Amino acid sequence: MLDIPVLSLLIFIPIVGSIVVYLLGRVRELLCELASLVITIIVLALSLYMYGSLLASKEGASFSFVEGPYSWLGGFGVDYYLGVDGLSASLILISSILSVLVVLGSWDLITEKKPIYYFLILLFEGSIIGVFCSLNLILFYVFWEVVLIPMFFFIGVWGGPRRKYAAMKFLIFTYVGSVVMLLGFILIYLFATPHTFNIPELVGKIPFWVQLLASAATFAGFGVKLPVIPLHTWLPDAHVEAPAPISVFLAGLLLKMGGYGFIRVNLGLLTEASKQYALIFIAFGILTMFYGALVAMVQRDVKRMIALTSINHMGFVLLGSFAGISASTAQAAVYGISGAVFQMFNHAAAIGILFMLSGYIHEQAGTRNIDELKGLRVGMPKTALVLILGSLAGMSAPMYSSFLSEWMVILGAISVNTWYAFTALIPILTAAYFLWMIKRTVLSPLPEHTHYHDLHNRAMIGLLLYLVPLFLLLIFPSLLLGIVDPLSLSLYQAAGGGR
Amino acid sequence: MSANIVILYYAAIFTIGSLLVASLSLFKRAAIRQSVAFYASLAVLALSLAFTLLNLSLYLISGSKASYTNLFHEDPLAYFFALTVQIVSLLVVLSSRSYMWGDRNLAVYFSLLLFSTLGMVLLSFAADLLMIIVAWELMGIPTYVLAGLRKDNPFSNEASLKYFLLGAFASGILLYAISLTYGLTGTTNLTAVLQVLQASAAQLDPLTLLALALFIAGFGLKMSVVPFHMWIPDAYEGAPTTISTFISAGTKKAGFVVAIRVFVVALPFLSTNWTTAFAILALATMTLGNVAALTQRSVTRMLAYSSIAQAGYILIGFAVATEPAKTLALIGVLFHAFNHAIMQSSAFLAAAAVDRTLGRVSLDSFASLWRRMPITSFSLAVTLLALAGIPPLNGFWSKLVLFTAAIQGDMAWLALAGVLNSALSLGYYAWVIKRMYIDEPIGSMVQGKIEEPHVISAVLLAATAIIIAVGIYPSIIYDLAKAAVLALR
Repeated sequence: MLDIPVLSLLIFIPIVGSIVVYLLGRVRELLCELASLVITIIVLALSLYMYGSLLASKEGASFSFVEGPYSWLGGFGVDYYLGVDGLSASLILISSILSVLVVLGSWDLITEKKPIYYFLILLFEGSIIGVFCSLNLILFYVFWEVVLIPMFFFIGVWGGPRRKYAAMKFLIFTYVGSVVMLLGFILIYLFATPHTFNIPELVGKIPFWVQLLASAATFAGFGVKLPVIPLHTWLPDAHVEAPAPISVFLAGLLLKMGGYGFIRVNLGLLTEASKQYALIFIAFGILTMFYGALVAMVQRDVKRMIALTSINHMGFVLLGSFAGISASTAQAAVYGISGAVFQMFNHAAAIGILFMLSGYIHEQAGTRNIDELKGLRVGMPKTALVLILGSLAGMSAPMYSSFLSEWMVILGAISVNTWYAFTALIPILTAAYFLWMIKRTVLSPLPEHTHYHDLHNRAMIGLLLYLVPLFLLLIFPSLLLGIVDPLSLSLYQAAGGGR
Repeated sequence: MSANIVILYYAAIFTIGSLLVASLSLFKRAAIRQSVAFYASLAVLALSLAFTLLNLSLYLISGSKASYTNLFHEDPLAYFFALTVQIVSLLVVLSSRSYMWGDRNLAVYFSLLLFSTLGMVLLSFAADLLMIIVAWELMGIPTYVLAGLRKDNPFSNEASLKYFLLGAFASGILLYAISLTYGLTGTTNLTAVLQVLQASAAQLDPLTLLALALFIAGFGLKMSVVPFHMWIPDAYEGAPTTISTFISAGTKKAGFVVAIRVFVVALPFLSTNWTTAFAILALATMTLGNVAALTQRSVTRMLAYSSIAQAGYILIGFAVATEPAKTLALIGVLFHAFNHAIMQSSAFLAAAAVDRTLGRVSLDSFASLWRRMPITSFSLAVTLLALAGIPPLNGFWSKLVLFTAAIQGDMAWLALAGVLNSALSLGYYAWVIKRMYIDEPIGSMVQGKIEEPHVISAVLLAATAIIIAVGIYPSIIYDLAKAAVLALR
């Protein structure tokens, strides 16, 4: 291992870089686009290095690259404390991958106020990486909240016609959730012995009744982000109004903060409460899955449909992780929890291509309405091809790793209770609405006097890149599961195994 | 250093300074009346700030002992608040260079500001009820005049009159409370009050409770506690905005330091009574402040209600200022008082900059402000986020300490109310940010960039820098507050 603070660099290269990019952008706009690409590629390289060395050492269960704890607010338990395990590493990797692709996509789709846009993109990247590797609850909370600010401006400034409403709604919903979550963190701090916010030191030190209260509080924070029904109503608005590259960030990364929180805090720290009341979380998960799938089916706007798809897919995360923690065998637990992490990774890539493509479709056809988009097969063949490939990823067809992850989650759930086998209906529903959408848009005849522009090659390559990790992980799932499985197993064992 | 020498220094420098500044208004030349008065006031503040910092660092570095006399307690708590209010004064005096420039009575204006600052500094040190009332009046009376400085503006007159009447009312109530205390204990020295009441049965006397209630009401009027808040929105809106800054960020904080000395230090055995009272007042203050702020159309009025709400957060600290959470709660009070002083100054001065350039401060006039006044918009946006408690800005840390103290002190419901209120407050803070950065300009507003008042812009950037710096490195103020609380007696 190199002797450099890898995680701090991963956080602060983008954050410091954001200021540089802004200043460069004031000189010439092209400079800030290039500089953002360079910075995100550097971060990607660094996170690949981090991920690779974790994979090589097979240390997914314990924290590596640990920095700190360095006292931040002395005497109050707030430390600067970073580290990665299998869960953090995979989410940091996907964050840095998506950042590069989002910057690429923004070149075409964002035309105004570029310097400040790229400033916010890098600020977002740095802080979301911070969320995924903070080992101190308050540090975690700090990054968690910083993420909101760029997102608020993304939606509000670069968004669609109802952007103001969507931005305010997003901000209020997520902030209310977060402050209630903060209250849960304070409870944990006060009633754990010793008083600390450091996650590794808190394991097994929290009394059961505090775990219960804290679970309720963190449910507000993580549940809004994931989102869990009924805390989801901000999501369709935010996604529809946000520009396409930002929808990729929203669905691909911001929602993962919720899933990450559930696994890191609820499964890792509030273990007994999670195990005892897993049924409630599982019920919410299944409700979310069905709701997302059914509502997605009736949408007219392609983008809104994709947005609701991600609600459907995120339900798997909740189901998998809580089925895993309450499973009776270690194998089932690993299926459930690893499946949930795997699902987050796959969903980020799959939803990325779909949202970005919806942006291109809107730009080329002037509409995203499924009823108005006709004959894409003839009108824009390249777009149609990418749409089909992306939809297959969205419906978890067995040519992508998203198939594996949904399968793992369902397998894990079945081992808890055979009746959960009915969740296998979800992939069928998902496939149904995606295929129906394709039938209506791609396979319909091209109306007369309609002329579409097709994707240009660079955009197409940029879109297809999203699918590379999905292919790769289908063939070599151990590239991800190699570091996630040990973590799932250790979480399960910490929860007392099958007892 | 002995308390008497310290007080003598402050009294001498401020009194001589402000009398000299006031006499400058005799000169005919506007340059002397304005510039010399301005620089002289700056010099006075610089001298006193340097002295405060010197003494404070003597405590922290060489560990010199606190010094007590009958009238004054010279301890880190006093220096902490003296420092806070002097920083506010400095920011206000500096911004007046842009905001008040050209006013005929500028020399008097500066002189009164200095007198009021002396009042606040003395109040930070005062440990005798009579000294408290004297310093209280010295702090208050100049601000009544300052609020009405714009004689030809009816709103300014209304602000001044309202503020004066309620201020006089508050002083009357305080004097009554003091006389009751004197009648019960035979002394006005706070340490002696503590000893006498501890030894006698008078602590259970209903009159003691009456005195307590009157103290809360009297201080509450300055601290902008609901239900003693009615004067605030009108006064803040009508007064020159720099003076609103001075009142809300400065004199209000001085109310908190005397409250600590009277309630926490001198009346600890009545804590069951005053903690309950403060818990209810905290809840009412923050909730009413936030709800009322949501509906305001003028930014200064909104900031006035926001300032009320922020006082509610500070009161959470008083509500749990008994064991086991006493230390943490008081640290929270000091920390948030400091942060709020900076944030409120920054927010009001940004409004002052807008008022000065655009001539109005309605919420609509902030539409698309970033195109016209980028520095002001940026500072105001950061400040509002800090006020809402978004990390990593200073307001977040002090709220975190206060809410933690509330849970530790078995008042988890108060912490819950606090966080829900923070969430509510983001509604109107973010609304202003939305107006400035997201909304399109309304009507026939100037579209292009306007020259921003230079000095206020510099002050705003400085305040924003403090907000961000304390946010990134909160230990500076936290440790200072902790030292002040631990040395308290």
